[in-house]
Amino acid sequence: MAQLLDIVTTAAILYAVAAGLLIVFGVMKIINFAHGGFLTVGGYSALIVTRLGWNPWWSLAFALVVGMICGAIVERLVMRPLYARPLDAILATWGLGIVVGQVITLEFGREVQFVQSPVSGAMAILGESYSQYRLILVVLAVALAAALGLVLNGTTLGLRTRAVIMNENLARGLGINSGLVRFATFSIGSGLAALAGALITPLSSVDPNMGVPWLVNAFMLVLVSGMSLLSLALSCLVLGGAQVLVSTYGNPVAGGLTIVVLAALILRFRPQGFARE
Amino acid sequence: MASPLERIRIGILTAALLAPASGAWAQDIKIGIPVGLSGANSVVAPSVVQSAELAAEEINAKGGIMGKKVVLEVADDGSGAAGAQKAFDSLIFQKKVNALISMETSAARNAGLPIVTRGKTPFIYTSFYEGRSCNKYLYVNAWVPDQQVAPIVDYFAKNSKAKTFFLIGSDYAFGRGMLQFTRDYITKKGGKVLGEEYLPMDGSDWTAIIGKLKAAKPDALITSTAGGAPNVTLTKQLRAAGINIPYGNLAVDEGTAKSMGPDAEGIFISGSYFTNIDSPKNKEFLAAMQRKFGGDLKTPNDLSVPQYEGVYLYKAAVEKAGSTDADKVIAALATVSFEGPRGTIRMNKQRHAPLTMYLGQVQKDGSIKILESFKNVDPGAQCPNIK
Repeated sequence: MAQLLDIVTTAAILYAVAAGLLIVFGVMKIINFAHGGFLTVGGYSALIVTRLGWNPWWSLAFALVVGMICGAIVERLVMRPLYARPLDAILATWGLGIVVGQVITLEFGREVQFVQSPVSGAMAILGESYSQYRLILVVLAVALAAALGLVLNGTTLGLRTRAVIMNENLARGLGINSGLVRFATFSIGSGLAALAGALITPLSSVDPNMGVPWLVNAFMLVLVSGMSLLSLALSCLVLGGAQVLVSTYGNPVAGGLTIVVLAALILRFRPQGFARE
Repeated sequence: MASPLERIRIGILTAALLAPASGAWAQDIKIGIPVGLSGANSVVAPSVVQSAELAAEEINAKGGIMGKKVVLEVADDGSGAAGAQKAFDSLIFQKKVNALISMETSAARNAGLPIVTRGKTPFIYTSFYEGRSCNKYLYVNAWVPDQQVAPIVDYFAKNSKAKTFFLIGSDYAFGRGMLQFTRDYITKKGGKVLGEEYLPMDGSDWTAIIGKLKAAKPDALITSTAGGAPNVTLTKQLRAAGINIPYGNLAVDEGTAKSMGPDAEGIFISGSYFTNIDSPKNKEFLAAMQRKFGGDLKTPNDLSVPQYEGVYLYKAAVEKAGSTDADKVIAALATVSFEGPRGTIRMNKQRHAPLTMYLGQVQKDGSIKILESFKNVDPGAQCPNIK
């Protein structure tokens, strides 16, 4: 029972962390290596909320907004000139991640910071006493998935985004402003990364490198999920679940490798991963 | 009224007397400080350098070491082996330092020791570490597991009636070394270790390990992670999982405990220095640090205070030997002592020092309450083959 809870909550955390990366990957066809940097921005946004003495729940909204603003600026100044050169754009995001880390170090110092958690302690569920915050994370991840699904399938922006994801040239031919779609996507993707950063602060330390351990797993999950948010949820459950089981019944050091190794194997034997086509 | 000639003589005499204060020193004594200004130790390195600076300033204000001015040569060892080789090489062979006194990672120390042997330079290591590092030129004035682990285990056994323990650590030399020692000590004392689990140094997801901990239902928990982030993530996730058995942390320092806020409350830590040690020497030291560095002061800690005392121990050894000759200083270092913020330090037990150890508990406001102190805890057999 405890393992089941571990698997579901781990999958929820992974989903929250990887969702922003997937959206950017879907539209722009590039992996945004600055994702870890934006995650860190979210963690420090939560720190600012703590320092201002606001209710910790505000850190979620605050991080989302800060992340979107940073994403919007970066899209205009760094990403847009590089759209014709995807490989250079990937390198640029990598450099950007380093710059974000250094700027944060300059401003806040290298040390580990403390952020107030919205809830603490455990609660009883399914006969187990389990971390309350991890359970709340499951609810939040489901809400996030529902919101993203709604935006993609229920709004004009979502329709245009899906068109760009399927065939950007054709979409442009139909009069869709793909530049605007890219701008919106990158901003939202960055905002989601920062939101995830704020979401994990009660579990994670807040320091300039806090995003790094999450980036590799998120990257692998996105690669095996293709472009769909549903297959992302599936791969989070399967790979996150495998990680929990290997760590519990095997060895946590091997558990840390599970997602990466399994993802590589899946891509070797089923190049489309968890995607349907 | 003195004659002009006499006045000149008086003038020369006065000048000679004032010389140490006015900068005209006979010759300098150079102390090399290879330290991790970048990399993992960069959080603590500034406090180490600050306490060495205070020691040098105090010594120079009182006439230096045998009339020679103490000059510090700080070099960045990058917290690792490659950087340490460069730092030791340049300090010993280019700057020609008389001695090395420094807090470093174990990787950096091990990489530097062959160079120390080649350069025949006395080296006082001021960082607590996993123990049993031995070299003709090496002395250590900080704690080893033999001194640090016992207070926590004994306290849990006595006050919490703990019989079963669970151990969690980061997967590297210090983490594994500390817990190996802890496991042996618990077994020797008749306790039982229910589990010993490790996560890679950069790991942040302790879910599965916490699951195993809960399933094992131990009486007490002892952890030894890498400093900084792993310590924080583990503690937060333990607290979120509602774990409230006695929790001893072998690797958390006062500063990190403070930054963890309410999550750190109740953690037991053991060390040879806490800022609120109630002794005149410690209060003097803290006041002097505050005066010298003011707002830039990095909180003194269990890694920086031994550095301060190390400089004074070297001074005492040079004065006893009557020279800076390496062999004479090495022989003298085992016999001299210095009364510093941690008490009287004497490195007379196989190149290591018996230390007064303190068991502290983190309070709600992040301060450390000292529960018990253990006088002159012996470092045990660290280097039986070194005379």
